[in-house]
Amino acid sequence: MFEYDFMQRAFLAGIFIAVLASVSGTFVVLKRYSLISETLAHSALVGVAVGLVAGYNPLWMAVIVSLLSAWLIEYLRVSFSLYSDSILSILLSGTLAVSIIIVSVGGAFNNSLFSYLFGSILSVSEDDLVTIFVFGGIALAVLLVFSRELYFIAYDEEVAKTSGIKVKFLSFLLVSVVAIIIALSIRVVGTLLIGALMVIPTVSALQYRVGFLPTVLISLFFALFSVVVGMTLSFYFSLPSGATIVLCVIFLFIFSLVANKR
Amino acid sequence: MQLKFRTPIFEIENLNFIVRGQHILSDITLQIFASEYIAIIGPNGGGKTTLIRMLLRLEKPTSGNIKIFGKKLSDFKEWHKIGYVPQRASLLDENFPATVEDIVKMGRISQRKLFSTFSKKDKEIVDDAMSKMDVLNLKHKMIGTLSGGQRQRVMIARALASKPEILILDEPNTGVDVVSQNRFYKLLQKLNKEDKITIVFITHDIGVIVDDIARMFTINQKAIVCNNPKEALSCEEMSELYGVEAHLLHNHKHEH
Repeated sequence: MFEYDFMQRAFLAGIFIAVLASVSGTFVVLKRYSLISETLAHSALVGVAVGLVAGYNPLWMAVIVSLLSAWLIEYLRVSFSLYSDSILSILLSGTLAVSIIIVSVGGAFNNSLFSYLFGSILSVSEDDLVTIFVFGGIALAVLLVFSRELYFIAYDEEVAKTSGIKVKFLSFLLVSVVAIIIALSIRVVGTLLIGALMVIPTVSALQYRVGFLPTVLISLFFALFSVVVGMTLSFYFSLPSGATIVLCVIFLFIFSLVANKR
Repeated sequence: MQLKFRTPIFEIENLNFIVRGQHILSDITLQIFASEYIAIIGPNGGGKTTLIRMLLRLEKPTSGNIKIFGKKLSDFKEWHKIGYVPQRASLLDENFPATVEDIVKMGRISQRKLFSTFSKKDKEIVDDAMSKMDVLNLKHKMIGTLSGGQRQRVMIARALASKPEILILDEPNTGVDVVSQNRFYKLLQKLNKEDKITIVFITHDIGVIVDDIARMFTINQKAIVCNNPKEALSCEEMSELYGVEAHLLHNHKHEH
């Protein structure tokens, strides 16, 4: 299958996204913030819609809108006494509604939107690949540099704050990085399914009850395995890539759950 | 008179905290000096935890001043000098992916430089903190598999790993059995006597540590400082503040 250029691009993009999604997913899951991935993915769709209708690069627009949405979520969470999950839920449906209206008014309800909803390995262009590697590289570097602080914050935000760690800044940084990663991922996995790739590998890895580093590594392995196997199956059986990847990761989750049953 | 020569760590002046018109803390003026062992007692809802949270800038006072090591809270940067173990510390998420060592290492994070890695010196400090709290043999165990008493000691080891000058413990005994508690008090006393670490201990069970502590603050919206805790257990002011609970404490003392 690697004789096709589009498959090479899809694999490169997919593998890098697996790394990004699983590493950032560890912090998101441990912070009990899993739903944010779904909300940001739906916000990213507004960017895609604007891009499709107005003729800008949808991936770039997705990154911008997803970032704005992440900052709005953090602002609302810190400034108003609203429950985090209700904010996420409101923004999830709100942004989805906005993007549907934009696409519908702009007359762009077609296959190209469909590929952003469910992901398509055929659709990763060379430009997309560059965007994914540049922005994704920055996002990954930020995560690695601050991984110990983010781990501490996930464990106990208040104690982290009292020990002098800049909790507000780092939480803001984490949602920004997650927003970028999600926007980059929707090409391959799709808006409706990226949340799964971010959350499930970590939740599966947690079943093994090991320390922090082994948990990250198991989660990384699960994400890579799912993307590689999912894309291969998707190529040979003409299945949609995002859905196949997600089913692979869910299989690993069930396996981990059963294998570690106490 | 002797107190005047001691170095204050916290200086609290005319502190007020009002929420929706209700006074939680009124006109609190207190000082905490280096190497002291202080107990803070008071009824539930009396404002003990709120006071501590203000010292750690987790809450903002309505009015009043707090100085820490002679500086305003907002100007103070060396937060690693303060070790804090909150009330729920030993009850945190059992499934969190952390070994005992992972947790204690967290104590070193706030002092690291941006791109620095975990050094040999950091490792020594972490091992030393674990051995002081008697958890070195558990270092590769998952935190969720430990007993309440063991977990409590791990939380304090984490606080010790930042090399603090003061330890603030907010009722760290929740969910810990009596044998472990006694062992724990001995370790605290040792930290205070041998390592000269100032200890501020919020508790409702003063009887057990009355022999160790130097001073006691009773917080129930207002603060009363008792410079001789053993005597204070029967004082009238305590009865007023505590109501029925003062009698309980009183009886408790006589059983010993």
